[in-house]
Amino acid sequence: MTLPQPLLKLDSVSRRRAGRAAVRDLDLELRRGQVLGLLGVNGAGKSTTLSMIAGALRPDSGRIALDGHDFLERPELAGRLLGWLPERAPLWQELTVGEHLDTHGRLRGLAGNALRQAREAVIERLELQPLVRRLAGVLSQGQRQRLGLACALLHRPALLVLDEPANALDPVQVAALRALIREQAAAGTAVILSTHLLAEVTAVCDRVAILHEGTLRHDGPVANDDHAALERRFFEIAMNGAQARAA
Amino acid sequence: MSTLAVARLELRRLSVRPLAWVLGALTLAELAWRFTLLLGGFLAGQVKLAAMPGGPGYTDLVAVPLLSSMLTGGFLPFGLAELALVIVPLLTMSTLAGERGNGTLPLLFATGTPAWQIVLGKYLAVLGWLLLWLLLTLAMPLSVAHGTHLDWGKLAAATLGSAAMLAALAAVGLACSAYASHPAIAAAASLMLALALWIVNLGAQVAGIDNGVLNWLALGTHLETLLRGLVSSADLLWFVLVAAVALVLAAHRLAGDRERN
Repeated sequence: MTLPQPLLKLDSVSRRRAGRAAVRDLDLELRRGQVLGLLGVNGAGKSTTLSMIAGALRPDSGRIALDGHDFLERPELAGRLLGWLPERAPLWQELTVGEHLDTHGRLRGLAGNALRQAREAVIERLELQPLVRRLAGVLSQGQRQRLGLACALLHRPALLVLDEPANALDPVQVAALRALIREQAAAGTAVILSTHLLAEVTAVCDRVAILHEGTLRHDGPVANDDHAALERRFFEIAMNGAQARAA
Repeated sequence: MSTLAVARLELRRLSVRPLAWVLGALTLAELAWRFTLLLGGFLAGQVKLAAMPGGPGYTDLVAVPLLSSMLTGGFLPFGLAELALVIVPLLTMSTLAGERGNGTLPLLFATGTPAWQIVLGKYLAVLGWLLLWLLLTLAMPLSVAHGTHLDWGKLAAATLGSAAMLAALAAVGLACSAYASHPAIAAAASLMLALALWIVNLGAQVAGIDNGVLNWLALGTHLETLLRGLVSSADLLWFVLVAAVALVLAAHRLAGDRERN
């Protein structure tokens, strides 16, 4: 039996930022319905990796394939296949929550009834109804995060890219976020999320990739009762890197 | 589709921020004052003007000078063209530099919208605002047109010239916003470029030199012809060329953002 073609495939992807190698020769694959946790200490290259996958940054070298197509050659695929929640959920301060959803929908080619239905669905799913007329500039960080997530989910993407999605969420919202991620995965959406919280990974991810100093140091499955083993592996990688630097 | 979505987004942002409203209100008040002065002058000299066969009329002395003081001389109060040198940089400064500072530019890239569509959408929005500003300015001389003889052809040519100038300046402002890291820097650069285009041939003129190249480069050369009522494709082409070059540069710089950041 042959495995289905991966939805996302990174081949030797590298990228320099601020004069240093932020990501080096990264190989990664993700299939539909999989949830991949991207772990790493601050500055490990997680956000750079996700920005490249989302199409906001171009790699210096390497290849990114999305649904079998070269994503660098066809960046328009992002509009249809990809939803991205960047770190700190940047928003247009002057737009209301409803206008944000409309704008994201239009930018992704939704219009008329399709846009209205998609908008209503994410408003209901993320409980944004009381905020629809509120300006994004006055939202709390947790509300901004929910709106960012709604914008990423609006067009039902095949790949959901989440950069620190649990930032600024309270425990109830974190639980709701985990349920949402599992629900998306069950519906066939591939999810890649970056975090530095190990508990987040063991709670929702099938696989974990650990990045350190821009390189992939670990890529393997996650078991729900595997928290201690994952923690050991993570610290081993992080501390080895620190010791190597000190030496 | 994406171009229109970006244009709608930018128009919405313009309509919510106070800057566009304040600029619109203040400049229209200033232009209304200029219109009153021009109309007063025209009414005072009407008897004398009526005695001059082929002398200047309402269009030459009120309607066109409202759009620019270029033909009538005297600088204060400013005409629309002179005001545009300041207004357009202020209006365009945040279009791309603001998005970059706000962190929302990557959001646009991540929707798969190409850089040229982002630039074009932003340009259409700013141009829409400027054309509305031009129409509201024109409403002043048109409001008394029924009581006088208006040279529609001359006014149409002057309007076309003004619109072409606004379109070129908007594109230059957008390009500055694409290259600048901060909106204030974009506004300053755009103002300097607009002034440079306006006065590039001034030194040669003062020295009594008629330099063809400098005159061709100067915005005033092309605007003046249109304000006089002469529509020349060569002049219109100059505005199209400036706008096209600026927009191509803006799109090129924006596309490079994905490589640079």
